[in-house]
Amino acid sequence: MHKIFKLSAIALMMTSAAAFADTVTVVTSFSKDLTDPFKAAFEAAHSGTTLEVVNRNTNAAVSYLQETRSSNTTDLMWASAPDAFEVLKGEGLLAKVDVQFEGIPDEVGGYPVHDADGTYFGFAASGYGIMYNTRYVEANELTVAKEWEDLKRAEYNGHVAMSSPSRSGTTHLTVETVLQGEGWDKGWATWKWISGNMNTVTERSFGVPDAVNSGSTGFGIVIDFFGLSSKASGFPVELVYPSVTSIVPANIGIIENAPNPEGAKKFVEFILSPEGQKVLLEPAIMRLPVNPDAYADAPEDFPNPFSEDFAPGAIEFDVDKSGARYELVNSLFDVLVTYRLDDLRAAVSAVQQAEAAHADSGNQEAAALIAEARALIEAMPITEEQALDPSYAQAFTVSRADPETEVVGRQAEIEQEWDRFAVENYGKAKQLAEQAIALN
Amino acid sequence: MSASTDTAARRFTLFPTLSGAAVAGIAIAIFLLAFLVLPVAQVLYVAFLDARTGAFTLQNFQDFFNTTLFRESFVNSFYVSAMSVVVATMIALPLAYITTRFNFAGTAAIQALGIIPLIMPPFVGAVAMSLLFGRNGSINLLLNQYFGLRIPFMEGLNGVILVQSIHYFPFILINLSASLRNIDRSMEEAAQNLGSHGMRMFRRIVFPLAMPGYLAGAALVFIKVFDDLGTPLLLNVNNMLAPQAYLRITGVGINDPMGYVISFILVVFSVFSLWASFLFMRGKDYATVQKGGGGLSRRDLKPREKWLAWGVILLILALVLSPHLGLLLLAFGTIWSFSPLPDGFTIQHFGTIFTQSSQYVWNTLVYAGSAALIDVVLGSAIAYIVIRTGLPGRKWLDYMATAALAVPGVVLGIGYLRMFHGTQLPFGMGQMSSFWGIIIIALAVRRLPYALRACMAALQQVSISLEEAAESLGASRSSTIRRIVVPLMTGGILAGFVTSFATAAVELSATIMLVGRSSDAPLAYGIYLYMQSPAGRGPGAALGILAVVIVALGTYLSQRIIERERSRQTTAGDQH
Amino acid sequence: MTQTKAGIRIENLHLSFGETKVLEGIDMVIEPGEFFAFLGPSGSGKSTLLRAIAGFGPTPRGRILIGDRDIVNLPPWKRNVGMVFQSYALWPHMSVRRNVAFGLEERRMPTSKIAPKVEAALETVGLLHLADRMPGQLSGGQQQRVALARTIAIEPQVLLLDEPLSNLDAALRVQMRRELLALQRKLGLTTIFVTHDQEEANTTSDRMAVLDMGVIQQIGTPQQLYDHPVNSFVAGFLGTANVLDGAFDGAHFVTKAGQRLPVTARSDKATRIVLRPQNIRIASSGDGVSGTVRHREFLGSQIRYLIDTPDGQMIVDTLHATGQPPYGEGATVVLSIDSQSAALLED
Repeated sequence: MHKIFKLSAIALMMTSAAAFADTVTVVTSFSKDLTDPFKAAFEAAHSGTTLEVVNRNTNAAVSYLQETRSSNTTDLMWASAPDAFEVLKGEGLLAKVDVQFEGIPDEVGGYPVHDADGTYFGFAASGYGIMYNTRYVEANELTVAKEWEDLKRAEYNGHVAMSSPSRSGTTHLTVETVLQGEGWDKGWATWKWISGNMNTVTERSFGVPDAVNSGSTGFGIVIDFFGLSSKASGFPVELVYPSVTSIVPANIGIIENAPNPEGAKKFVEFILSPEGQKVLLEPAIMRLPVNPDAYADAPEDFPNPFSEDFAPGAIEFDVDKSGARYELVNSLFDVLVTYRLDDLRAAVSAVQQAEAAHADSGNQEAAALIAEARALIEAMPITEEQALDPSYAQAFTVSRADPETEVVGRQAEIEQEWDRFAVENYGKAKQLAEQAIALN
Repeated sequence: MSASTDTAARRFTLFPTLSGAAVAGIAIAIFLLAFLVLPVAQVLYVAFLDARTGAFTLQNFQDFFNTTLFRESFVNSFYVSAMSVVVATMIALPLAYITTRFNFAGTAAIQALGIIPLIMPPFVGAVAMSLLFGRNGSINLLLNQYFGLRIPFMEGLNGVILVQSIHYFPFILINLSASLRNIDRSMEEAAQNLGSHGMRMFRRIVFPLAMPGYLAGAALVFIKVFDDLGTPLLLNVNNMLAPQAYLRITGVGINDPMGYVISFILVVFSVFSLWASFLFMRGKDYATVQKGGGGLSRRDLKPREKWLAWGVILLILALVLSPHLGLLLLAFGTIWSFSPLPDGFTIQHFGTIFTQSSQYVWNTLVYAGSAALIDVVLGSAIAYIVIRTGLPGRKWLDYMATAALAVPGVVLGIGYLRMFHGTQLPFGMGQMSSFWGIIIIALAVRRLPYALRACMAALQQVSISLEEAAESLGASRSSTIRRIVVPLMTGGILAGFVTSFATAAVELSATIMLVGRSSDAPLAYGIYLYMQSPAGRGPGAALGILAVVIVALGTYLSQRIIERERSRQTTAGDQH
Repeated sequence: MTQTKAGIRIENLHLSFGETKVLEGIDMVIEPGEFFAFLGPSGSGKSTLLRAIAGFGPTPRGRILIGDRDIVNLPPWKRNVGMVFQSYALWPHMSVRRNVAFGLEERRMPTSKIAPKVEAALETVGLLHLADRMPGQLSGGQQQRVALARTIAIEPQVLLLDEPLSNLDAALRVQMRRELLALQRKLGLTTIFVTHDQEEANTTSDRMAVLDMGVIQQIGTPQQLYDHPVNSFVAGFLGTANVLDGAFDGAHFVTKAGQRLPVTARSDKATRIVLRPQNIRIASSGDGVSGTVRHREFLGSQIRYLIDTPDGQMIVDTLHATGQPPYGEGATVVLSIDSQSAALLED
């Protein structure tokens, strides 16, 4: 044990200098490309203050804050997904701080910029889009998919990628946006048909732009800045916004019991200031500022969510609804799509082949079989009402569950039921579609 | 834990009788309990709790076995591990056979190149492999262009098997080569004399004799693949146990006990595999039975055979070094997208990392170096206690230290967070869990099994009569260890140091949970950060190249020292 | 067991390890059914020669014929030469039975034929009852016999034994060498036995070759070699020898110191003779070379004296008979020889 003490003494000498300086510690899911310019600008504006950046993906960051809450060492949480902030807020991990800023409207694209209770603040807006590799599209002679509906078409079979909503807060929002925009059943049907065309469901949100950049997949469903910054880095990629999209702010919040609340507040105020907003337009960052004045300096065709013609179909995002079924939607997506992607793909491509085979045949029997197969793929194990029923949804959040609510079943039990449902339906749908093909 | 009244009287007599070895043994046991057993137990006990009430239950295990997905994941993990062993064997066997059996010009280089894959951060390897072998990677683009076909190297489980076997085959290569070298040449000649030769002789005589070494390597590969998380996650394969555990433990706000159940099953299954391989190998260590020595007789290759051998070796090397090649292309390439090669080449990425990399490099050297140092100190001490003393329970030190092999890095990382968070260190160093020293300890615990094996092997080769001679000349136990045992073990200790150092330098799974500040981050973490942004791919790869070069250089230097030591000892040994 | 007896003929064989010449100009003929020994000190090339016959090591220049077949360019597995290794080389992962069956299996013999042959071979060496043991469970002598059984099971044309007794203790060694000889006689196998121990070679072999520095020094029966060594190396290697330099003068050999010794054998060229210690008579007075007893060793049946003479020290053995007092150290004695007992050396 003597060695440990010796090491400690060395450590003391090495860390003492840092310990006395004014340090702001931020946990973030953002890449160096975003954090480094902000760190530089902030430290230049507030000399003597150091910004200490700890990079973790959103999920790990939330877990980290939960695990370390007993003696917190983090000042700020800085990430895209509002849901993650909702979770932190729900667990009382965010402090309510009176932050000063001006020139930022209350809403962007129908979504409130800041938390109504003042525990976290939007500093940049993001929309969701379809990113594609131009070389890939050309080589495979594909047309560019501009809407979610397009991605359902048979021509995109095997050319699409997205990340799992349970692993990427931003993807979760995309999934939820479509569910809210098209309704529960129709929304899920859209996702299943799109997923049937996917070659992969990645476990990291960056996995999707990475796959599109390297050309291993043609189309990716991504948050806009991934597409914009990839393009800015020179990759042969483009980004389109489908008309049904939601603009969601990326956020920053101060952690309860922060070791340096003053410094934390200073940093939040800095990124909301006009100077801070300008940093967002750097080519490697490419996020949409929440201060409309910042767009004056933006490059030519830079999207502006405050303009009239941006994403006309943007929906009103219901944060409460999203929050109530957050874990359930993630789990449902994983069970029905991520973990059963092979089965789903087989069923979808069988249906696509059957439809192609009988496009002009007018065979009634085949059409009936295909319709039945489609219905089986689209079928959902639970209704929207069930998904919003606390006694059901809270099986996924037992430790935070309201003690008054009676929770039915355990997560593992429910998932096993869904899984059986999915495997059975996809299998049957594939069988029916193959029968239809055989009817030629 | 006996009644304190009567121990008070005995304590005076009891304490002085504790030998130095016993004190060391107890200290090591405490270290392993504090930094391995308890943190892991902290994580795994959740598997036995009812998520809602917190009461003890076995319900979770019932759920595990009732869930189709988990049963499938188990089968997939088993399949991938077994197939990785098969593919790794296919890679390692020809390399080991050709380099130990024939007079072959490139032997030293091949054996050295064979170790390089181990020092590639696995997730970086997966990225590079995807660019080369992926659906639209270089190879498939070319195949598609000229032959109109694609080979699904990287699709689903195939990709995991390919990447894992390329990464972990050196474990088999090292152990198998050592075993082959220990086979007395007359064993082979006797077979030839009786009419056997070629592959048939290899299958019937040589390979069975090398079996203990092969199995040791294969068991290691099996367990590492079974527990590995990074590669399947990066390749988006989630129907395996380790990714399922990770996804369920680290999900936002999810309180799914199944993640912990899976972790528990991972650890138990890995320990079981280790135990099974030990059991199988017991009494089969033929090397020690044989007299004489000299290893397999080396034969000159006929010209045609030489071309064939070079062909096979170059093919294998091209395969196992392809991640490095891919990384090199990434590091020097400009934009590489949907094309066999990058659009252009540049050295700019190295310029980008130049300013920031020194911190990462320094941290890596300090962490991996200290961890490897702790490992060889602990490893030699445990080896000495297990082999040379009669301390009761000494085998458990070995078992405990070796069990670290079976603990996934994430589980250890989370365990440390749970166990040490809130423990304030003295001198204002802050939280124990965010203190950089804890990273060193995590690395040391994870790599201890490697160093321990090397130290054990080294000590077994030191004849006990050499120690007895020193003691009969009046040297005390401790000075015998210091002046006789440790110098004679130098080669083995250094080998342990090198393996621990090289593998610790590229470790990510535990460190990613424990890095508290970016200024404390090691290289692997830095690469990971860069690789998370479109503009960072090149600099990340450049940093990866830097990591490989540094570790390879360290490995090479230590290897030189080991060889010098070994040749010095063998010439001395020949004189009697 | 019927064996095809085959002789071995080696013609002008040369072999080098890189720059080092290991065998030079080896020529010899070994008759079918002969028990032949290669005798020499370590490094003499005897093992290398044996291994060259078995096909191990670098390919030599020259010819090795077994029967009429030149085997120099054949790989070991095509030579049908049985070799028993010094370390026995039993495979620890196979039972005794499987070890013995190995060579037959490699010859693709049907299983039904292998079993009786294995049992016969084990019966021959008297180890049938241990057939299902593992080699690690056997004593050294038993391992030796298994190695022998394994080799004879394939019915080789030639049996090669590489220092087969060196790993056994003294008592067992004597017993084993008798058994080996008996077995060889029974099977009538042409056998080559490599040893550095002259007693082993003398007691077993029909003929032997003495090697030194990669060159054959002399070939002949043990008695021929002992009584008529061609050079001082052979003389010294086979038993104790007193070598005297000088020249012939009529019926006498005149030593350097001028002593005249009666020697019947004649050669004008020879300048050295060798006298075996037991062929020198010792007396307190009379004709002969006078000398002084320097040292005396009691060997039981014999007494060995070290005697200072004008030609240097000479070793003389006398039979010890009870009651006959030996000469004391410092005593003056006279040495004499029979005229037939000296052997002429060519070097």
